[in-house]
Amino acid sequence: MNFASAVADGFAEVRAHAGRTFLQALGVTLGVASVVATMGMIASGKAQSLAYYAESGGVLKGMVYPKEIDTVKTSAREKASPGLTLKDVVAIRAAIPGFDLVEPDVSRRLLVHTGLTESVYRVSGVGPRYADLHELQIERGRFLTDDDMATSSAVCVLGADRAREFFGTGDPVGKSIRLGGDPYQVAGVMRPREFYFGGGNHNNLEWMNELVLIPATAMLTRQVGSGEDRIGSIGIRLASVEAHKDAIPALKRLLLARHGVEDFEVYDRQSRLDEMNQQDRVYDITFLVCGLISLLVGGIVVANILLASFTERIREVGVRKAIGAKGWHIAVQFLVESVVVTGFGGAVGLALGVGFVHIIAILLQQPAILTPTMVVAALLSATVVGLVFGMYPAIKAARLDPVVALRYE
Amino acid sequence: MAEPLIVLEGVWKTYDTGALAVHALRGIDLIIEKGEYVAIVGPSGSGKSTLMHILGCLDSPTRGRYILADEEVSGLGAGKLAEIRNRFIGFVFQSFNLLPRASVQRNIELPLMYGGLGRTERRERANQILERVGLTDRGHHLPSQLSGGQRQRAAVARALVTEPALLLADEPTGNLDQGTGGEVMALFDELNRNGQTVLLVTHDPNVAARARRVVRIVDGLVEASAEEQAA
Repeated sequence: MNFASAVADGFAEVRAHAGRTFLQALGVTLGVASVVATMGMIASGKAQSLAYYAESGGVLKGMVYPKEIDTVKTSAREKASPGLTLKDVVAIRAAIPGFDLVEPDVSRRLLVHTGLTESVYRVSGVGPRYADLHELQIERGRFLTDDDMATSSAVCVLGADRAREFFGTGDPVGKSIRLGGDPYQVAGVMRPREFYFGGGNHNNLEWMNELVLIPATAMLTRQVGSGEDRIGSIGIRLASVEAHKDAIPALKRLLLARHGVEDFEVYDRQSRLDEMNQQDRVYDITFLVCGLISLLVGGIVVANILLASFTERIREVGVRKAIGAKGWHIAVQFLVESVVVTGFGGAVGLALGVGFVHIIAILLQQPAILTPTMVVAALLSATVVGLVFGMYPAIKAARLDPVVALRYE
Repeated sequence: MAEPLIVLEGVWKTYDTGALAVHALRGIDLIIEKGEYVAIVGPSGSGKSTLMHILGCLDSPTRGRYILADEEVSGLGAGKLAEIRNRFIGFVFQSFNLLPRASVQRNIELPLMYGGLGRTERRERANQILERVGLTDRGHHLPSQLSGGQRQRAAVARALVTEPALLLADEPTGNLDQGTGGEVMALFDELNRNGQTVLLVTHDPNVAARARRVVRIVDGLVEASAEEQAA
């Protein structure tokens, strides 16, 4: 007997018992549907966090912070370190080609006086390519320039929300505000940014619309003063993903050599992303186990119904054996039958799962994500369920004693 | 043609029911030669069905030897017995036992399929045998679409398609009226005239009378007098 005949036998049996087949397939259908829906949701969740990363500057961005130092226990070497300075920024730019942006940031909370309002706001002293680092765009006027930096000009650039707050609907460009008592001229206003991630009322990227920016040099000389050149952080951006491997260690070596002590911390997104992937794997496993349990239930349904229909086919097995069927012929026939049923159930479940993913995507306003892997996994798991749970009835049938089977009424 | 097809030597079949052992067959000696036409008769409970199962290689004797076509089959495993059944024995059952969801053609091809024959050869041989039993135009019908007599002829066709050494029929007319039963018996007669060894198991004296030899089983033994009478 060849395999094609066994498959034909299985199909004939499936067609002859539409109702039974439907019930059998239903369990697997729901199992596969839940696996597909789960995988789709996981994939879309991942896509979302990647989208967040992309909107907040992508995986290439990083930061260097000064390390918190316990002033009481400070060692002589730590005291000798100049800390993070503008000179570090210049040195990194010169020594490490792996970064395409190295931007200083020195922020203070300053009293802001606009004539209309007077309140304390966070003001950031930054470099002219700060806008590139955070993908900010100018709506009106201009951004800070190298010239502003070199001359510590008293100019500022406002985020869209701040501009509205300070000046209402009027054009702020050219107007003057006081920051920490000193007059600054508004050079430009940023285009408001809208964020896909989160979608709700508040967003943890909202600060991008609430910036008050002045040249870092102006911040140091005018607001901080007393020759202080320590800065709050250095924003960095890798030239490429591949650069990560060499540039980050080189940065650490360079700063260690300059400071003599590790009084800084380098935070890069690639490492964070790796951690995130690790976390995702835990979710993957948890959800997949849930999906697999429902598949398992589907499999038990298949085995149960195969066994329930078993008695009515005992005689048939007897006849087949009488005319020369060996045990394995019978087993193959039963297995093919159960795989045909679960395969069919799996295909329907796949369609249902894809539907679920789209409905959920619409409800949660997420992208619907389906991959070939998911299709293969769904159909493969349905087939495996058919094989595993068809095994017991198949072996039982194969072992029937022909005499007993033929006599069975 | 004194060439034995079947040799039974001291065949016992004992069923262990727990409390006591039931001896269905108690030392059967029987020789059936090629081309014979034999009826096995006996009251119910005599062991005639058990004997048929053993002769049909559906069951193995507890004790004794069974030689079929020069091969000792007593003591063979289930898989080997399935092969022997496929190659040497054609079964015809009282209730036809055609697979209800398979066409007549497919039913007839089934033993050839289990024997490992290719599709074209199966088709060819099934068509030949359908012609021989007069069902050429019924190949694509389901068994339920045939009359009782046609069903039994389809069952005979399935039994014969492997060209078995032994045709083994268990109450072949039991589910048929007299007319169609007679037709089926006429088919057996004709097959035997052409050299087919036929073994009928029956309790119907009219059916047994068509055989050229009657073996009567009583209490698990061959009744000597009946053998002599028939001879």
